[in-house]
Amino acid sequence: MKYIFTILLVCSFSFYATAQNCSISLSGHVEDADTRQLLPGATVTINETGARQTTDEKGDFTFSALCTGKYSLTISHVSCDTLRKNIQLDKDLHVELYLPHARRTLGEVLVEAQKGAANTGFKKELNAAALETTKGFSLAEALSQINGVTMLQTGSSISKPVIHGLHSSRILTINNGVRQEGQQWGNEHAPEIDPFIADQLVVIKGVDELKYGSDAIAGVILVEPKALRNQPGYSGEFNSGYFTNNGQYYVSGVWEQQLKKWPAFSYRLQGTFKKGGNVSTPDYRLNNTGSEEKNFSVTAAWRQARFNTELFYSHFATKVGIFTGSHIGNLTDLERAIEAAKPDAIFLGQRTYDIQRPYQDVAHHLLKSKTTFRRGENKFNILLAGQLNHRQEYDIVRSAANTRPQLDLSIATFSEDINWEHPKRNGFNGTAGISMMQQDNSYSGRYFIPNYFSYSFGGFFIEKWSRHRWELHAGLRYDHKTINTNRLKFNGDSINNDFKFSTFAASFNAVYKISDNWRSNISVGLASRAPYVNELLSDGIHHGTATYEKGNIALKPEQSLHITSGVHFQNNAKNLDADILLYANSIHNFIYQQPRPDSAVLTIAGAFPLIEYTQTNALLYGLDLGVSWNVTAPLKWTSKLSVLYARNVSAKDWLILMPANSMSSDLAYQFKNGKRLSNSYVSLEFQHVARQSRVPDEANGRQDYKAPPPAYSLVHFNAATTVAIGKTPVTFGIGARNLLNTVYRNYLNSMRYFTDEMGRNIQFRIKVPFNP
Amino acid sequence: MKKNLFKIALSMTLVTVLLAACKKDDVDVEDNEEEVITTMKLTFTPVGGGTAVTAQFKDPDGPGGTPPTQDEILLAPSTTYNVSLQLLNETQNPAEDVTLEVVEEAIAHRFYYEPDAGSNITVSGLNNDENGVALGTTSSWVTGAAANGSIRITLRHYPGNPPGKAAADPVNSPKSGTDVEVNFTTKIQ
Repeated sequence: MKYIFTILLVCSFSFYATAQNCSISLSGHVEDADTRQLLPGATVTINETGARQTTDEKGDFTFSALCTGKYSLTISHVSCDTLRKNIQLDKDLHVELYLPHARRTLGEVLVEAQKGAANTGFKKELNAAALETTKGFSLAEALSQINGVTMLQTGSSISKPVIHGLHSSRILTINNGVRQEGQQWGNEHAPEIDPFIADQLVVIKGVDELKYGSDAIAGVILVEPKALRNQPGYSGEFNSGYFTNNGQYYVSGVWEQQLKKWPAFSYRLQGTFKKGGNVSTPDYRLNNTGSEEKNFSVTAAWRQARFNTELFYSHFATKVGIFTGSHIGNLTDLERAIEAAKPDAIFLGQRTYDIQRPYQDVAHHLLKSKTTFRRGENKFNILLAGQLNHRQEYDIVRSAANTRPQLDLSIATFSEDINWEHPKRNGFNGTAGISMMQQDNSYSGRYFIPNYFSYSFGGFFIEKWSRHRWELHAGLRYDHKTINTNRLKFNGDSINNDFKFSTFAASFNAVYKISDNWRSNISVGLASRAPYVNELLSDGIHHGTATYEKGNIALKPEQSLHITSGVHFQNNAKNLDADILLYANSIHNFIYQQPRPDSAVLTIAGAFPLIEYTQTNALLYGLDLGVSWNVTAPLKWTSKLSVLYARNVSAKDWLILMPANSMSSDLAYQFKNGKRLSNSYVSLEFQHVARQSRVPDEANGRQDYKAPPPAYSLVHFNAATTVAIGKTPVTFGIGARNLLNTVYRNYLNSMRYFTDEMGRNIQFRIKVPFNP
Repeated sequence: MKKNLFKIALSMTLVTVLLAACKKDDVDVEDNEEEVITTMKLTFTPVGGGTAVTAQFKDPDGPGGTPPTQDEILLAPSTTYNVSLQLLNETQNPAEDVTLEVVEEAIAHRFYYEPDAGSNITVSGLNNDENGVALGTTSSWVTGAAANGSIRITLRHYPGNPPGKAAADPVNSPKSGTDVEVNFTTKIQ
């Protein structure tokens, strides 16, 4: 690069004396400085003339018929910081432009394999286009479109993501750059995030995990909003939809503006309202399965070339009904419910939006400030965030006069992160950072986890190097966490437990581009996770499973050693893409719940089997396979296969609640763009989920009371088209989940004890952008 | 001066209120009143005179912790008893009488008494709810000859809306769930 510039400089001097010439061309090439991804769709503006070009698929652009002189260029792209560059034109010139990535979270991982671009690690993502068909669904439902990601559910309205068999506190969810801190430990606690905030959802594994914590044993989920506008003016988008199964409707809107007077200032307002009624299975409707969500967010930013600051606030509020027929008093009740082919008629058939007990009411606030500034070629990020999570669970109570929640948890979290990105030198590129967190949890009502105050501090260092066919990443992280817990019992007994945990993580990733068609990737990582408070100190009846859960204060951090390797192939015609990912995750001191068959807990509601948190050595291994083939130009076939084995090595047994093997195949037909209609397609997806045959043996203590449900196959349908109404491209979509109204139950849904899954659900959606 | 003092006092108060609002729970005693039943108490009054006897199931710290304690039901042969049942939450002081809540929501609750065959006890005469369906906070027990046996007492709760409680519902009806289930040993001597 340097040489090219020198030569150009010399050239420009030699032509300095020539007369005004107005037939010069300026060409250039734009890449993402961090990911080295080619940037199509970047806007290049010559500020002096106002001439504007958009880069093509390869990130190239050309201006012609320019006169000699000094010019300034502005280069912008939705996912990057805007770059300004001064040039002197004396003869035809070619410039290489590298745009710094705008999002703190990127600037890291590889580029998506689907696009066939250079790859630098393990990353799977859903972009805005893929998210379109998941509008109105939950975050986990959207994520489960990604190969290797499944869902853990409580009915159809509570779902949380599972990556390669692991979930809850083993996954870090990064919402707009901030580590989500709610009550993730519970199986029936869904992430408190509005999926409408996201422009893309990304799952990463590898070195970049270290930026967020040493405890990302399963991986990191990034919820990425769209970058703010970088052109003065305003724009917006309105989304709405309706689902036939449960009468669910949603409206969601975004408004954003960059001020003309102060182009450094821009802001965005966003809001979503969603409401659904009782869900219907193919044969019956389930009472009290409605849900409601009210979310909004505000972003304001001040952006200059060397200084950038952003304030973000989001509020998430949801109320979710739990199927009344799943109310379980004790083990006998559970066994009865399991025997019954379907729930009693008293719990079925109401078509309403009303939500009664039992239900959950959850609110989550996030306030974040992010500041980026540059000193020379050094870049610094300061991220401050405050989160408040309030979860209330309303059970069925004896007295209608009781309006209190039975479980009431509040958690407040403050976090401070400072990152430094050092200048790029000799192919080296790195980030170092320190982070701190303070957390205060309190409860009232029923005891499940104690009050606690926790604080942690940590630091990481990541270095990346790339040259020719090689890309190497390596990183380290250390965290220290202190937890002081306190439970003051009704009889005045005070139970205090204090814990200190140190966790260490390291990661190494190597990418080798074998040829233009083949790329291989291998990563080795060490992660460790401190036990969570519920694993240490829970003590009470879990009604959903009719068990008595007990924590264990002797637990040590669990340590994972994982090896992931992948090969990606793309043919020369670029119409066939294949991806294979093999992984093995060996977890030392894996925390799980072990039944203690000899020590049932006798209560006034009968005897409950005891299960206790304990540790073992676990090994999870499997593969994800993805193939996409453009059979002919309009016809595209995509297929995914996911296989997982999860062993309890010490007990020589399987681990409970692991996703079964699954595969899906999707055939999409893309219509040619017409005069009024564009981006029209129809697609049909076939999904098959095998029966989970790898379940714990009862000889080691009965962990489950119902055998996994049989295998099932589903068919889904999707179609959309964009109609130009005036100047507005309005998108209409129609989709159908479970098109054939198949009766099935899902092993990872705790409601499988009681009910079938949701039947056919047809969805209509509309998207109206303003001033796009 | 006075004004300043007032200002200082006001700001101090505000700060205190704010702090108190933010830091509400760490000093709170556990609010264990929610739905906890610690005790089932049966009172047996012989028809035709005699001293009343009681039998209790007690789990003073609620589920978990110290295991519950339980009395044996000791009755005289060939006697009819009027039995009243009481549920208490003794984690509170004074103890909360949970029976009142059950009676209040009688159409969504029902007690079942299931003596085993060898116990020589028959239970009948359960009191009813306002729809004329058995509630069972009071009942009538008739003893036979001396015997050792057991009796299971179950409180079922109807979560449905409406509850749909009916006279024919068995103890393990899919319409209801278990709130209380206690096995007493019985002795007639």
